Amino acid sequence: MMKTTTLVLGMMLAGLTLSVQAHTLTVVPSHYVQSKTGSFISVDVSASNMTFQADKGIDLKAFHVVNPDNTAGKVLSSYQGKRKSQADVELKQEGTYRLELGGMPRFFTSYELDGKRERLMGNKQEAAAKLPKGATNVVTTQGRNRAMAFVTVKKPSDQVLAVTGKGLEFSFDKHPADIVATEPVTVTMLFDGKPVAGVELHLSFDGELYRNEPGRIEHKTDASGQFTFTPATPGRYLLEGSFMTDVASAQADKLREGFTLSFEAALP
Amino acid sequence: MAVKTWLLLPLSLGLLGAAHAAPTAPLQIEFELPTITQGQYHRPYVAVWIEDAQEKPVRLIEVWREKPDWDKDLRRFWRKTARADQPLVDARTGATKGPGRYRLQWQGDDDAGKAVPAGKYQLVIEAAREHGGRNMVKQAFDWDGSAIALDIKAGSEIGKVHLSRGAKS
Repeated sequence: MMKTTTLVLGMMLAGLTLSVQAHTLTVVPSHYVQSKTGSFISVDVSASNMTFQADKGIDLKAFHVVNPDNTAGKVLSSYQGKRKSQADVELKQEGTYRLELGGMPRFFTSYELDGKRERLMGNKQEAAAKLPKGATNVVTTQGRNRAMAFVTVKKPSDQVLAVTGKGLEFSFDKHPADIVATEPVTVTMLFDGKPVAGVELHLSFDGELYRNEPGRIEHKTDASGQFTFTPATPGRYLLEGSFMTDVASAQADKLREGFTLSFEAALP
Repeated sequence: MAVKTWLLLPLSLGLLGAAHAAPTAPLQIEFELPTITQGQYHRPYVAVWIEDAQEKPVRLIEVWREKPDWDKDLRRFWRKTARADQPLVDARTGATKGPGRYRLQWQGDDDAGKAVPAGKYQLVIEAAREHGGRNMVKQAFDWDGSAIALDIKAGSEIGKVHLSRGAKS
């Protein structure tokens, strides 16, 4: 039941110490849909192996809320628990909010020394100053990982879904609040604003602890960047994506981007 | 849970509709809210509306509800209509109702009051109850002037539904 996608990097990016365990970071709101402005949601943030089965609470320094009008939302209170962290968010505006953990790019440089693979934090210039003598196979990776969810109060809005044209992003053929069990959904993976091939996607759904087969779907995008799936049953789903590419920049040799998006498929 | 099985009844049951015929006979919608004795009982939130063949809502007939907090629990109604059109919902809202038989009508118009073109439509009744279940009935019918007599069997939150309409004279 171990995941094939490892988000070790994501944990580093979220401000955690590097763990040997591979965990997936998830942002899971108590409600994806609310019918009253001024209501609250509690958001669970955790790292887990099984989808939505909280294993580890996450430092919430890198957690933020984007209001429907793209202003910064407010986290009223938060708590980092052993198994999950929780943040309370007030939904004062009508529209769609983005809840997001992470998002800032970080750099790490790996190298070999005396036959062993080592790594240090820092971009190419920073690493150059810190690298021990005799280090070989030096590769600097720029990584960014995000764990997200969208919550909608009354009428869905699109501002927080807008594509920025930077890095790995996604675009759905319907609003996340319109995802309904038994109805197909197409997501297009974009890199720097264009459909991109080679994004590894995993789709999983709630309740893995209580069934023998996790029932995950894996997909690697082709040039269309598209992935079409039909949530068979209503409930909570998790879409995970990761993408690696070479870059020619002064700061890094490789770029690695990943995300998780929790969402619900509503009752038809 | 959509009840898909339906039964064509003899035309005599369509007389109710025929009595109201002229100029266009409305669709008579009769349904039951069952008596529920198990557990805590709260009156259900109920929405009744008509969708076209593309499942787009064309006419909201009635909504029975109380607090807006729970509007979202009428999942389909919330998604299709309520979340985006508060004035329409307010205009068609009535108080929640207890167990009993109820009768509503559809005059063949859309939300703007304009007569809809002939074609395939469906009636949707959705009911959700606090500490109870959620139930949805979806029944397709032809709106082309012909008689309608359809029975939908009872579900957990929505009892028997009978749809009828007299043929256009």
